Amino acid sequence: MARRVATTNLQEGVAVAAAPPTPTAAARARWRPYLLVAPSIVLTIWVLYPFAQSVWYSLHHYVLSQPWSRPFVGLRNYQKIFTDPDFLHTVAVTLEYTLLAVAIELLLGMLLAFLLNRDSLLTKILRPLLILPLMVAPAIGSLIWKLETNPQFGFVNFFMSFIGQRYFPWGSSPRTALLTVVLVDVWIFTPFIALLLLAGLRSLPQQPFEAARLDGAGAWFTFRTLTLPMLMPYILIAVMFRILDSLQQFDIIYAMTQGGPGDTLMTFQLRAYLEAFTFLRLSESAALILVLWVITYAISYVMVRYWNRARAHLRGA
Amino acid sequence: MEKPQHNPAAISRRQFLKYTALAGAASVLAACGANTGSTPTPSSQQAASSPGTSLPTPTVVSSQHLGSNAFDWQKYKGTSLKLLLNKHPYADALVADLQTFTDLTGIRVTYDIFPEDVYFDKVTTALSSRSSQYDALMTGAYQTWVYGPANWLVDLRQYIQDENLTNPDFDVQDFIPNILHSDSWSGKPGEAPGQGDAKQWALPFGFEINSLSYNKQVFAKHKLRVPRTLPEIIETAEYISKKEANMYGIGVRGSRSWATIHPGFLSAYTCYHARDFDDHLKAAMNSPQAVEMTKLWVQMIKKGGPPTWTQYTWYEVGNDLGAGKSAMIYDADILGYFQNRGTKAAGHIGWAPVAANPDDPKAYANVWIWSLAMSNFSNHKEATWYFLQWATGKAHLLKGAVEGDQVDPVRHSVANHPKVVAKLKQKYPGYLESFNQLIPNSKIYFTPQPLFFDVTTDWAATLQKMVTSGADVKASLDELAESINKKMADAGITQ
Amino acid sequence: MRKWLAHLVLIAIYLFFLLPLYWVVAMSFMTNQQILTYPPQFAFSPTLANYKALVLGQLGGGVGTLQVDYLHNFVNSLIVSCGAVGLSLVAGIPAAYALARFRFRGADNWAFTLLSFRFAPALLILIPLLQIYQSVGLYNTYWGLILAYQLITLPFIVWIVRGYFEDVSPELEFAARLDGYGWWRSFWHVSLPLVKPGVAAAALLAFIYAWNNFIFALVLGSSDVQPVTVATLSFMTASGIQYGVIAAALVISVVPILLLAVYAQRFLVRGLSMGAIKG
Repeated sequence: MARRVATTNLQEGVAVAAAPPTPTAAARARWRPYLLVAPSIVLTIWVLYPFAQSVWYSLHHYVLSQPWSRPFVGLRNYQKIFTDPDFLHTVAVTLEYTLLAVAIELLLGMLLAFLLNRDSLLTKILRPLLILPLMVAPAIGSLIWKLETNPQFGFVNFFMSFIGQRYFPWGSSPRTALLTVVLVDVWIFTPFIALLLLAGLRSLPQQPFEAARLDGAGAWFTFRTLTLPMLMPYILIAVMFRILDSLQQFDIIYAMTQGGPGDTLMTFQLRAYLEAFTFLRLSESAALILVLWVITYAISYVMVRYWNRARAHLRGA
Repeated sequence: MEKPQHNPAAISRRQFLKYTALAGAASVLAACGANTGSTPTPSSQQAASSPGTSLPTPTVVSSQHLGSNAFDWQKYKGTSLKLLLNKHPYADALVADLQTFTDLTGIRVTYDIFPEDVYFDKVTTALSSRSSQYDALMTGAYQTWVYGPANWLVDLRQYIQDENLTNPDFDVQDFIPNILHSDSWSGKPGEAPGQGDAKQWALPFGFEINSLSYNKQVFAKHKLRVPRTLPEIIETAEYISKKEANMYGIGVRGSRSWATIHPGFLSAYTCYHARDFDDHLKAAMNSPQAVEMTKLWVQMIKKGGPPTWTQYTWYEVGNDLGAGKSAMIYDADILGYFQNRGTKAAGHIGWAPVAANPDDPKAYANVWIWSLAMSNFSNHKEATWYFLQWATGKAHLLKGAVEGDQVDPVRHSVANHPKVVAKLKQKYPGYLESFNQLIPNSKIYFTPQPLFFDVTTDWAATLQKMVTSGADVKASLDELAESINKKMADAGITQ
Repeated sequence: MRKWLAHLVLIAIYLFFLLPLYWVVAMSFMTNQQILTYPPQFAFSPTLANYKALVLGQLGGGVGTLQVDYLHNFVNSLIVSCGAVGLSLVAGIPAAYALARFRFRGADNWAFTLLSFRFAPALLILIPLLQIYQSVGLYNTYWGLILAYQLITLPFIVWIVRGYFEDVSPELEFAARLDGYGWWRSFWHVSLPLVKPGVAAAALLAFIYAWNNFIFALVLGSSDVQPVTVATLSFMTASGIQYGVIAAALVISVVPILLLAVYAQRFLVRGLSMGAIKG
């Protein structure tokens, strides 16, 4: 048959044995995958229309409060973004935030996953509590942390006073603001990674580890050659979701410092929000987010390739 | 040296009104028993005077409408209106009294309340989508500089001047002139509020004057005089920060937002005769007097301000005063008012005007005006106008001031009303005195232009840089002015 | 020796995560005055005023009484989040199955496209979407929000459940077919039960993200449909931030998810395992 038919990923024999006997049933089987996927397509495809509209806005000078003048300006908005002296800073802050947050979450999450993988009374109690910070809405979480790091009332600074840092500036100083918002992100989202990795650890087959132990392999060696590769797909998925979220993080940063002090935390998303809601320049906002979108797309594409490769590697290994 | 916009006529008009009000009050008291008034429909007049209160009917003799036709409050009976409100005590006072309006007019009113932090986001999306969902909304004056020229709001002059649609007791002269005019703008960038062909985009219904609220206990303890100029404030604040272990001298806002510029900062700025833009709409934040004042402001924060100043919004400034963490705040008088109840510092808050400039004894204050505006997409504009005139009318505002917390009244009759005066004197001593001293020179001192929020946000970010990174004040302000001029040129507002 | 070191580190890390939460719970039983003191009060006399305010709908601060409508917002959150996740499950599970079982044209592309909806921040589409919603009458409706939330919940469901289906051996299904079951029945009675853990895990995560979202509801609806996240912000009033009430609101809003999570916990840990690895 010239047309590609939907096939199952089974050996030929079983496929033939299960092949439906009648022509109409065959037709049904051919269309089945498309039918199954159809609802999810229908439920999300509509987003293309507002998406296209935003792209359209970004090619114009579109100010919400000036409906009388919406000239087409081509790529001028993008040009302005790239030639803005602050552009490099915007990229830098966005990437710094993401890398720092995800790196810390990954290391801490892995540590937690390993520690919680042992079975003891303590871990039995602690495991269900892991999900708690994840349930706090990021905007509210940031608000709470803002209060806690306030030297006037916060208990964090109370504890810090024991090491002489009662007035540690946290979110109010350009030197420590990034650290502060990363801290909030880590607090909320480390459990996400920890849970995924813990699940991964618990699903690993036992034989390779037993064999390694019998062969007298050291802990580090086992970790490097066995655990880590087998855990890699989980790590990649977890990290990918976190990277996606962190690149677009708005609530945490806005609630803590609105992008300040100065321009310290002005990420793409912060700038885009201000452009849209405070300055009403929808075109600039759309352009900024589309630039971010492209960056995000590129990073995810790469990560999904790695993920596929890691899965294939394990399947074949 | 530039003189701030100061209209001598305003003072004499105020005095004129004062005498008129007194004359009117006298005649009211005389006529009180007989319950005659210039409006001939006793029942509707009764309804308008908020039944249930024992206040004398504020029926001021109004020369235009002596013996005019009956004003039919019930003309739009059966209509339904929807309001968009900010979560604020003024809105709560309004909501609590809505039944009075419905009884009076037969118009049903529903409302949506949104939290302040997201309120203007909601207004922007609602108006820009041209939705007819909301008929009236709460707004500030600065927002009308954007919403008005966009034709999202209705110019209310047509209604105010329409005898058939405006009840005779509305008495637009009763509004404090500076405040009423600050809610109007011609739309010409650079033209001051109230000048030229100014369109009335909204009506004020509660406002805030920026002054010093301070903790009287702390001042008494250290035998300090209440500071009046900026250098004095710095000295006092520094002294308190040093002497008190858990307290700092003065709280002011510092977040990266337009909200940081318009209260205390711009008021002191104006006292130094500095302007945001000059007559040619060129940025003037780096003028010599502006630089001088900004240097002092930065010094004030560093020596006596809150340690985490860059995160300070209205809430933090207020909280600290109430919790006894700060000795003074230079912000809205009503912020101190709110902290005078149910907090640690309750009962000890005092108020004082700030004449920041040692060379100018006059105390200038910028104001924030909560106002009500009519959506241009409303399908019930006349009925909405009925609502607006009632909500900003004497009866409701008086009730709000006496029974609620709608202080900083926008009407003379309310501000001078004996019950209001008595209440404030008793529970908030010093509040009214400070208010009265500041009123002649209180208005919006910003230059209206469409990029208001850009300018003030950038300004706040620059202030933050100066305070936290030790950036040179003059250089930073020069940079700010240059970037603003460029933005204005790009947007086509200037050449 | 190793053991107690591990325990020590574990407890130290958990302190970091749980102490702020303990503090939130403590704050929910304190008045604003008690919260805004230094040093922080570890021993205090608790009050139920905050919870009462939320449940009864009256917030009495020092300045008058403000009306709150928290429980109504709570119900809104429940309706929209459950609806969104439910709809995503109905549409997403079959899609996940198809992507796992069949290799058809555009399969991987569609999967990646679905994921890409998470790259587009809501901000990009919100304002155009508002205008669309107003013209088709979806503004301020639960269905409108549920539909908008699909951008958040559907990718989760599809990507996580897909992995589980890949783990389930196809031979089981075909054994059922050979026994005479039609396709649908073999899917429903054989394949689906085997991926229950994965479904539970994905649903829980999707629910959390839907519950904590607020920009969609803020823009696409009026007060009728506002969720708890927006409602919690309304305790930041001009007369002061009511930290105690915010804390109580947070506690109330977390409790249902917590119960759900503890219940799903058994599936969750086991479930998330098989998603990512077997291809």
